[in-house]
Amino acid sequence: MPTIWSSNEASARATRGSRLSALKDDGYRLLVFLTCVDHLLDASRNWPARYELVYELRNMETPEHLRVRAFIDGDPPRVESVHDLFPPANWEERETYDMFGVKFTGHPDLTRILMPDDWVGYPLRRDYPVGGEVVEFSEEHETWQTAPEKA
Amino acid sequence: MSTPEGVTISRTGETGAFGGELLSVNFGPHHPSTHGVLRLIVDLDGEQVRSVKPVIGYLHTGIEKQMEALRWQQGVVVTDRHDYLSPPINNLAYALAVERLLGIDVPPRAKALRVIMSELTRLSSHLVWMGTSGLELGAMSMLMYCFRERDTILDMNEEISGFRMHTSYIRPGGVMADATPRFLEMLDAFVRAMPGHVDEYEDLLTMNPIWRSRTIGIGKLSADDAKVLGATGPMLRGSGVAWDLRKAIPYSGYENYDFDVATSDLCDCYGRYLVRIKEMREAVKILRQALDKLPDGPVNVDDRKILPPPREELETSMEAVIHHFKLFTEGYSVPAGDVYVAVESGRGENGCYVVSDGTHKPRRVKFRSASFVNLQALERMALNHMIADLIAIIGTADAVLGDVDR
Repeated sequence: MPTIWSSNEASARATRGSRLSALKDDGYRLLVFLTCVDHLLDASRNWPARYELVYELRNMETPEHLRVRAFIDGDPPRVESVHDLFPPANWEERETYDMFGVKFTGHPDLTRILMPDDWVGYPLRRDYPVGGEVVEFSEEHETWQTAPEKA
Repeated sequence: MSTPEGVTISRTGETGAFGGELLSVNFGPHHPSTHGVLRLIVDLDGEQVRSVKPVIGYLHTGIEKQMEALRWQQGVVVTDRHDYLSPPINNLAYALAVERLLGIDVPPRAKALRVIMSELTRLSSHLVWMGTSGLELGAMSMLMYCFRERDTILDMNEEISGFRMHTSYIRPGGVMADATPRFLEMLDAFVRAMPGHVDEYEDLLTMNPIWRSRTIGIGKLSADDAKVLGATGPMLRGSGVAWDLRKAIPYSGYENYDFDVATSDLCDCYGRYLVRIKEMREAVKILRQALDKLPDGPVNVDDRKILPPPREELETSMEAVIHHFKLFTEGYSVPAGDVYVAVESGRGENGCYVVSDGTHKPRRVKFRSASFVNLQALERMALNHMIADLIAIIGTADAVLGDVDR
C-alpha cells in the first residue's frame, strides 16, 4: 500500500492544495473514504500529532489504492476541505466534523450529520467516554456506565 | 390548506418556473417509502422537485464507537448490525481486514463457504429490495414472491449458523462452523429452483406496463456523474460502468469463479432494476460453481492464539485450557498497523478500515458504507422529476438506513 505521509498542519494544508489535486490528475479520481483517527495516548508508534486524517484514493483504471495521511493538532483541529475536488467528501467531512470536531475550512455546510444538532462533544474522540450518555432504564445497571478513560 | 398528519409545508417565498410559489416540504423521517428513517427536505415547484436535502442520523447507534470498546473477536457481532440486510458480507469485510493485519490466510473450504454466504446474502438483499420497491410502485404481489425465496435463504442461514438474520457466521480466522450436509442439500435444491423463480419475477415486472412507466427514464444518473459522486454497486453498474470489486480487486477466491458483471446502459431506475435481476442470475451461477467445487478440509485456521481449541481438547490438554482461558478473558492482540478491505455488497462497496495499536481492542474501525455515499447522488437523480417519482428513485438507490447512519 503506497502511502503519503504529511506530518504537520502546514503540510496538511499543502496536502489539499497541491498534492490531492495532483493525485487526482494522476488518475486517483475516486475518494473511497475520508476519516480521522485519534491517536490520544497511543504508545505503539511515535505519532507526530494527535489527529490523523486518512484519505483513501483509488484509481479505477488500474485499480490501485493510495492512502494519504495528514497529521493535525490544535483545538479545534483545522484542515482545508476537499469537497470541490471529490464530491463524496462533502458528507464524509461533515461526519468527521461531527465525530472528531475537525473543522474543514471552506466546507459549504459544516454541520452535524449523524448526531443531533445540539449535541455537545465529539463522540469518536478517545477522551469521550463510552456510556457517558445516560440511557433510559440504565440507572439500575451501573456496569453499563463505564468510567471515563483517564486522559 | 389541510395537510396530512406528519407533513409540514413552509413557504420559501421564491417563485417557480410556472409562476407559482416554491414550497419546502418535509418528507419523512417516517415515510413508508424511505425504508427506514430517512428525512428529506424537498423544495417543490408544483409537483416538480427543485432540490432535495437528505437529513440522516435517525438510526445512528454509535457502532464505530462500540467497536473500540469490544475485543477483536467480539466486533464481528456488531458488524452484522449496521447493514442489516447483508450481515455476512459485512462480517467478511471485517474478517478480511483483521486477517490481513494478523497475516493469516484461511483454508480453501472457508473461502468457498464465505463466497456461498456472500452470494446468498446478495440474493436475499436484492429480494428485499425488489419486493419493497414493487410494493411502492404498485406491484403489490412482488413482496409475496420475493419474501418466499428470502425465507428459504433465512432457513439456510439458520441451518448453517443457528441465526436467521444476524448470522455472525464469518469471523477472523475462518467461519463459525462447517456446513452441515442438510445445508448443502438445501443449497442444492435452492440453486436448482432459483433460476425459475427469477423468471417469475421477470414475468411480473420486466414487461409490466406500470412498472416500466414508473421506472424508465426516471432518476437518470449518467456514468460520469455516478463516478464523480462515488456511487458504487448497482447504482454505478446501472449507469453502464462495469465496476465490480469481485472482479476488479478479487477477495476470498472470487477470481476462481466464472461470472459476468451485470451492467445496463439505461442509466435510470429501470436500468438499475435490470442490473439487480442479472446479478441475481449471476449469484446463482456462482453458488452452483461453489457448491460443485467445494473443497474438503478444515474451515478455520489452525492457530490456537486466534480461535479457541475444540471442546474435546479441553479435557485432556492443559495447553488448550490456557489458550481457551486467554482467548475468552483477554482476547488476542493484533499487530499495530492499519488496513482497508473493500467487498462488494448488494448495495456497492462496503469496506472496513481498521486501525490497530497492538492491543486486544481496535483503535479505530471505520465502515465505508455504500448506502451513505450512494445517498449523496439522490439529489442529482431526483432533480426536476415529479414528487411521485422520488419514491422510485429512493427505492432504486437502495440505501439501508442502518448502514447510512451506523
